[in-house]
Amino acid sequence: MPEIKAFAPGIYARSEELVAATRDLDRKRTTEEAVAGQQLKDLNALLEVQQGAGLDFLSDGLLTWQDIFRPFDAAAEGLAPGPLTRFLNTNTFYRAPAVTAEAPRLSQPLGEPYFRVDHLPEGRWVATLPSPHALAEWATGDVSPRAIAEGVLKPQLEWLADRGYVLVVLQDPALFGERRDLEGLGEALEAMASPLPLALQLPFGDAGKLIHTLAELPVDAIGVDFYQTDLADLPRPFPRTLMAGVIDARNSLLEEPEELAEFGNRIISELDPPELYLTPNGDLQFVSERIAREKLSRLGAAARTLKESA
Amino acid sequence: MSDIKFITREIGSLAKPSWRVKSIAGRPVEERDIKAAKKWGEQLQVEGHGELLELLQKGEGFNEEEKARIQDWAALYGIRLLERAGLDVVYDGEQRRTEMYDHAVKHASGFETRGTVRSFDNKYYTKAAVTEKPLVKEAYDLEEFEFVRSHTERQVKVPLTGAYTILDWSYDEHYSRSSGLLGASASRRAEARRTFGVDAARNVVRPNIVGLVEAGADWLQIDEPAATTRPEEVPLVIETFNATREGIDARFSMHICFSDYTKLFPYIEELDDCYELQLEFSNRDSLDLGTAAEDRPGYAVLQNFKKSSWDGKIGLGVTDIHTDFVESPLLVRDRILHAAGVLGPERLEINPDCGLRTRTWEISFQKLQNMVEGTRLAEEALNGS
Repeated sequence: MPEIKAFAPGIYARSEELVAATRDLDRKRTTEEAVAGQQLKDLNALLEVQQGAGLDFLSDGLLTWQDIFRPFDAAAEGLAPGPLTRFLNTNTFYRAPAVTAEAPRLSQPLGEPYFRVDHLPEGRWVATLPSPHALAEWATGDVSPRAIAEGVLKPQLEWLADRGYVLVVLQDPALFGERRDLEGLGEALEAMASPLPLALQLPFGDAGKLIHTLAELPVDAIGVDFYQTDLADLPRPFPRTLMAGVIDARNSLLEEPEELAEFGNRIISELDPPELYLTPNGDLQFVSERIAREKLSRLGAAARTLKESA
Repeated sequence: MSDIKFITREIGSLAKPSWRVKSIAGRPVEERDIKAAKKWGEQLQVEGHGELLELLQKGEGFNEEEKARIQDWAALYGIRLLERAGLDVVYDGEQRRTEMYDHAVKHASGFETRGTVRSFDNKYYTKAAVTEKPLVKEAYDLEEFEFVRSHTERQVKVPLTGAYTILDWSYDEHYSRSSGLLGASASRRAEARRTFGVDAARNVVRPNIVGLVEAGADWLQIDEPAATTRPEEVPLVIETFNATREGIDARFSMHICFSDYTKLFPYIEELDDCYELQLEFSNRDSLDLGTAAEDRPGYAVLQNFKKSSWDGKIGLGVTDIHTDFVESPLLVRDRILHAAGVLGPERLEINPDCGLRTRTWEISFQKLQNMVEGTRLAEEALNGS
């Protein structure tokens, strides 16, 4: 029986209060300090929800990130926030990283407020980063995944390892695009020589056609969206830890914990992965905070049921 | 010498004047808002606008009857702005509508709002879920249409949110609930979305259109900004359009913007009696003058339309709605001349890329005036006068 863990990486939903505060900031009706105060309140509420749900790893919810690339676009020499671009087939947009130098470099790893190490309670922390492949492929201008890995993400991974994170999720929505460089992704992952376990998450897409190739990559876990991927298309046995996206982050419909646990049992019996992580299939920012909170609670309940039945 | 005459029109929305926004939202109308109402009332020659100014002097605490009158004035100002800019076809700048998605689903049963989600940065929108089979019992844009019809002599085109966009922008708590989509095959997921889309076409969009057509509307524009969001579902976009217009005796067109138009092929060949596709091009185009293909990179996809057996008209977007840069009449002219060279002038009508609601009225008015002037220049060039 595989070890089972549950957690929720990625950008979390903003509370209605934080929505109002950030709107007011744009309209110059409030201050940066007031928004930062509300972000901290949101962070504390999120940590409380995760702990209450009994999740195994804790995430800070990336509540200050405008999109998955932006902190690095803004901080790295050789990158800048570029044009507004649709995120996959959602009604949400990100700024495509604009490449201004051949080898972008993060001169100093990002800390607060992008990684809330000063505010996280003792525990097992999961961080989320863009995959070097996603950042390179979705950038405007030429840059290789390897250059992003070496110059931008490697220093950040080392910083995270030094501060006690236990897992890093690399989000790679670009693997579903027409421009896909699996070889480049492999080289980038090798170049990162991560001191932490890596999970490669494929949010909001059908991983079935890619999974056999991805299984060769130097990652510890692979994230599959089970609202887009047919269980029948996955290899048996599953060669890595399976990060199963069983909470639909793009739908307000609340999952029943018993059904999720039942599906978890199906995964175990059919795919026999070495470990099983239960997670959302992508960022929970695609639903309102009220719904995201309830989904986290149900994720925890499903994991408990599954662990008990295992 | 030929006699080419291009039809000009808007796509849909204009910004809402501050006096309209504040009075409806219950915020105080200030002196500067009243000044703006006066300025535009005079500039657009809005008949009797002194009555509006008098009404706005109340400042705050407008009752429902007063709010309704203010809505009427906003609609009238919208109509006059489009007329004075010289457009052949007009509507009211969608002055009565909140937002295209919200306007459609709030009039239907079977939808419930599910809170605020982020679009990007600190911009958000309210998203609804379909919770049961959706239904619209009667036309909800009738009053809006009848007001426009009775206040203009120009041709009227009614913009309406399309079924596919309603599907794509909604959460699904109904169709997916019964389908058991976790770990399911692609065909089961696709069928759940197809059923929702066709229901939205038949039960949400169509009943509104039937009422509008009975009231005299003869041109309906189906807005589908989500059309190519999921390329594999473009056939569903076509199916929902056809289900919406089936058996209705009126002109139908479809507006698609900020999308990858190459994904529309070959599926648009299956459109039933679609008069026109109104599309955005200038957003992608150069600002330099010139009519050669290399001068007009934003219009490259017209070649795909030329090769397609679909032979409807193209509503040519010649004005970028995302920038305050006002296209000169010469730039508009060159964009039209280039497109006429590719498709033939008989397949073209002229419009901005999309609704102008993110621009001020000053910018919108200038852009539309220049669009009309540029269109006349293109006609002159083609007619040899």
